[in-house]
Amino acid sequence: MPYLARRVGQALVVLVLAFTVTFVLLQALPGDAVLIKFESPELGLSPEEIDDIRASYGADVPLWQQYLHTVSGFLVGDFGYSVQYGTPVHELLGAALPETLALAGLGFLVAVLLAVALAFLSTLAPFAWLRQALRSLPGVFVSVPVFWLGIVLIQVFSFQLNLVPVIGADPVQALILPVLTLAIPISAPLAQVLARSIDDVQLSPFVAVVRAKGAGPARVLWRDVARNALLPTITIAGVLIGELIGGAVVTETVFGRAGVGRLTEQAVTNQDVAVLQAIVILAAVVFVVVNLVVDLVYPVLDPRLKRKAVAA
Amino acid sequence: MSTPRIRRLAAAGTAALAAVALLASCAAQSGTTQTAEGGDPVEGGTLTYLEYQAHTTLYPPQAGFYPNGGIVNSITARLTWQDPESLEIEPWVATEWTVNEDATEYTFELRDDVTFSDGTVVDAAAVAKNFDTYGLGNKELGLTISEAINNYASSEVVDDDTVTFRFSAPAPGFLQATSTINSGLLSPATLDRKLEEFGAGASAEIIGAGPFVVTEEEIGTSLHLEAREDYDWAPPSFEHQGRAYLDAIDIVVTPEDSVRIGSLLAGQADVIRYVQAFDEAQVASAGFEIVAAPTRGVNNSLGLRFTNPLLSDVRVRQALVHGVDAQEVVDTIFTENYPVATSQLASTAAGYKDESKALAFDPELSEELLDEAGWAVGADGIREKDGERLSLTVYEAKPQPLSKQTLELVSQQLAKIGVELNVKAGDAGSYATDTLDPLKTALYHSMVGRADHDVIKSQYFTKNRNTLLSNDAKLDELLTAVASEPDAAERDKASAAVQDYLTEQAYVIPLFEEPQVYGAAPYVHGFTTEAVARPLFYDTWVEKQKK
Repeated sequence: MPYLARRVGQALVVLVLAFTVTFVLLQALPGDAVLIKFESPELGLSPEEIDDIRASYGADVPLWQQYLHTVSGFLVGDFGYSVQYGTPVHELLGAALPETLALAGLGFLVAVLLAVALAFLSTLAPFAWLRQALRSLPGVFVSVPVFWLGIVLIQVFSFQLNLVPVIGADPVQALILPVLTLAIPISAPLAQVLARSIDDVQLSPFVAVVRAKGAGPARVLWRDVARNALLPTITIAGVLIGELIGGAVVTETVFGRAGVGRLTEQAVTNQDVAVLQAIVILAAVVFVVVNLVVDLVYPVLDPRLKRKAVAA
Repeated sequence: MSTPRIRRLAAAGTAALAAVALLASCAAQSGTTQTAEGGDPVEGGTLTYLEYQAHTTLYPPQAGFYPNGGIVNSITARLTWQDPESLEIEPWVATEWTVNEDATEYTFELRDDVTFSDGTVVDAAAVAKNFDTYGLGNKELGLTISEAINNYASSEVVDDDTVTFRFSAPAPGFLQATSTINSGLLSPATLDRKLEEFGAGASAEIIGAGPFVVTEEEIGTSLHLEAREDYDWAPPSFEHQGRAYLDAIDIVVTPEDSVRIGSLLAGQADVIRYVQAFDEAQVASAGFEIVAAPTRGVNNSLGLRFTNPLLSDVRVRQALVHGVDAQEVVDTIFTENYPVATSQLASTAAGYKDESKALAFDPELSEELLDEAGWAVGADGIREKDGERLSLTVYEAKPQPLSKQTLELVSQQLAKIGVELNVKAGDAGSYATDTLDPLKTALYHSMVGRADHDVIKSQYFTKNRNTLLSNDAKLDELLTAVASEPDAAERDKASAAVQDYLTEQAYVIPLFEEPQVYGAAPYVHGFTTEAVARPLFYDTWVEKQKK
């Protein structure tokens, strides 16, 4: 239990730091959301009127007061209003979050399936040239820009072949192409790491023992190698969450999906501090939780780690 | 041209057929502001309309941003209607009006059969509340004053159908202001909302008296609008009365250009906004229509901030004006739908005066002027004077189409006369702060659309947009005259005087007349725009239903 408590404590420190650093950085940027929205010539407002608006958003008080105000708001679940949309931040996030969770969750799942399929096939496939070709696929995948991939998938599968509509699609149809767009580049590093660690494990003495007992290559791979090759892959998977978020921004823009990614992009463009603050905290929470889960899963997969964790 | 007319002509034999062909070709030319007519309108169907950006607010005075304006135009009625071609102001919710001699008092008579979509009546009290809000603002609720309404003092409800507005100074632009989307009439209860409550997620609760109502919204993604069955108060000048032809409109936000165009061409969408100039040919060659509607205001142009010391000499400014080849900009980057500017105002704008001769491209003259002003060509080809380089900065303007490409081409043109123009692409924050400083932003790329003489004042007056960051009292005086001259002919003169002055002082480099460009499927008919190119779906109908 102290291990868990320490990890949770670390997580909290990360959150507080993330919050504070974001707050300071956003304040240090030139201009602010009120200026961007209301001083833009669309409205023709006078400087006095803009000052009034700034006061109404509470943006005219000293920084430390704003900080305390924001912190106390967050602690009771009040994330404030988006200046750009005028909408409460929790409402914006509430609408965007399920979209992104579905996209990122499925994208990650498909990426894992793709990666496992690629890694296994590139180990088991007949013919050296085929294995070599499969090995080089992740290299191609990883160098494909998400943006370009999305557009190509739309052009081919929606506009040319008419298989899935982009406009007016039902919720399931609306996920197919974005999930693929997100999954393909994410699958690449997973597949590479998995394939490499399968190679490493296969060279271990215990595999030679299993082979000597007469096990076929498929059985060795499934029963003995895979489990051991999984550790590094899971580590990478934790890190890839960041990439998943980045990919979601682009994917959501290309496909016109209103998720957290697109919300982030627009909030950055408009320096919508309240929205950004909430998103950063959300991202930090996700990151911290995922890494916590990854750390807790290690000992399950490798009993040696469990003993170390308990001893520590 | 009316449909029955075409039919009559077609029935009149071969000679008439030739006439039809002739008329059709005329229609093709003048048809740049609406889709083709095609037989009798059909009622029903849902139109899928792709927007470039998500809307941000439906508070009418802040709805100038096109994604906002398109929605406000569909869900609100206004006191008056401005004919997009003639720019005449016609009755709509108001049946008639009187204006006193010095334009400080306006009295409107209202129709008695108009209702908001929540059932409340559009009466004098409701109208008065609208203009009190738009003219004076409401600080408590955060509702700002409308840029279109100047000098507003008070309202008076004379009786249920009569309302009078009073102004502290002449306000000749007010009548036109009552026709713009910024004066869209909202129900009294809607006007009690805070500014925040007009934003994303609240569209269905914004109650107007227009032909459509918003029934569903997915924040940032889509809006569903349905036609009001009981709508029966279209402007009397419209041929079509009663409810809109369409049953519904789906507005879908599709930020990626190629996806918008592809969806239209693949039959997944019916009308799209913001067809980039380089995509027009592709859309047209696939048999789809390009609707390029003029925005009738201050042209897409570069304002020269003369309070920057480098630009304080009028000869330097004149050199810049003559050193920019707007024709080349249009030929290289845009299409024929972007006419080369012939003044600071668009040729379709109220109060326009042709200034093309005095603004002509003449690089040799530019070089002479710069020599005269003492700027000698330095070692790297950029002119210098007293150890200072003639180096200026301009920011890419995100709202302007292909702003970066335009500015880069202008920069190349200016380099030929020895002027360095740095094109910067800042984030929104730096843009907002730096463009308020003439030293950091010597040239300012912008435009503004409004079909009234006042538009030029909006752009250049020190207490409005003030895009020149001016300190020129003479300019302010000339602009004030435009906004306060009650007589129409005198306003034309006042507007011409401003254009002459801007030209003489070389304060502005006009580039082109900026349109809003829409793409429409061939089976969409009657899609038009209001006076400054916001989509008007009331007359739109769909010939064949989508699969």
